[in-house]
Amino acid sequence: MLKRALAIISLLLIGYWIAQGLAGVPFGQDRMLVAQYYLDHVKEQTGAVNAVTAIVVNYRGFDTLGEVTVLFIASTGVGALLWRRKKQRTAKTEGSIVLTTGTRLLVPFVMLFGAYIFIHGHLTPGGGFPGGATIATAFLLLYMAFTAYEIPHKAFEKTEGAVGMAYVLVGLIGLVIGGYFLYDWIWQDWGFGVDNIGRLLSGGFIPIIYTIIGLKVGTELSGIIDNMLKEEVSE
Amino acid sequence: MNALTAIGEALVLIGTFFYFLSALGLIRMPDVYNRMQTSTKSATLGSLGVMVGVGIWALGTDFGSAAWLTKTVVIAIFLLLTNPISAHALIRAAYKRGIPLWEGSVVDKYREHIEAKEREEVEETPAEEGGEE
Repeated sequence: MLKRALAIISLLLIGYWIAQGLAGVPFGQDRMLVAQYYLDHVKEQTGAVNAVTAIVVNYRGFDTLGEVTVLFIASTGVGALLWRRKKQRTAKTEGSIVLTTGTRLLVPFVMLFGAYIFIHGHLTPGGGFPGGATIATAFLLLYMAFTAYEIPHKAFEKTEGAVGMAYVLVGLIGLVIGGYFLYDWIWQDWGFGVDNIGRLLSGGFIPIIYTIIGLKVGTELSGIIDNMLKEEVSE
Repeated sequence: MNALTAIGEALVLIGTFFYFLSALGLIRMPDVYNRMQTSTKSATLGSLGVMVGVGIWALGTDFGSAAWLTKTVVIAIFLLLTNPISAHALIRAAYKRGIPLWEGSVVDKYREHIEAKEREEVEETPAEEGGEE
């Protein structure tokens, strides 16, 4: 009781403190300094209509590379923590016929939608991370509905590594051509898609990077699910 | 305000009404199964009404285009396919966990079916052993 009261009082104090700090920030007023620059120049500098993905991939590409690395480390960490000699799925109850049939029907559409999200990162809300998570959801559905399902490990782990390398490679090509890492050579030098901003074939290297990230996130999250669902079996 | 706008508004109104009925069913119904029954059906229907209604409503406005209707119809079909499956999985899981039916229920054919199956298995096992000998 005393513990709970103390926790509530301290939380209220922290909340009041944060609210005091935020009270000085004007809400709903035009206080954009850097953001105004982004909004004014995003189209001619990156070719993307979606300013968020342009910032995340183009202006601040290092952050995205860091996030991909964090996710990779998380996946590897889960794999290392749950590593055992012999692991199998020990699920016993198969899903009902409605569930399995529904999953069979829906999984291709979920995957298609995930691919749609990451391919259209420069045009619509979303991008590589939500698209990849959607694809991983399709694999989670398969894992949940079938007792014996397993992702194709060989292909998945190879894809994961290859697309991770591809991201760095795209950045390194930029370093060679333009002088700095993650330089958007497709847009800046080739001018590819200048005439059709707002259509699919535009946006510099954002669609390419997001396809890479989508595949990477999809395979990584599926791998994490796979590791978490398996249990040790006694010989 | 033209005919398309009016139809869209009417559909959205019907949809929200069914949403309300769905929420009311959650409060009013006595057990899990009845609650799922009321909420799933009327929420699915309500969503369909709202989504298709918004699409048609957008067709009637001067800024709207057919893209709205296409998107909302796609979402509506997806929801129409997935909502019953999720409800089925939830109810089945609840039954398997042994959550009791409402005390006013009179018939539970599924339990009878499971028990009959178990009895059959118990009777069959010794018979098979006898056949092998």
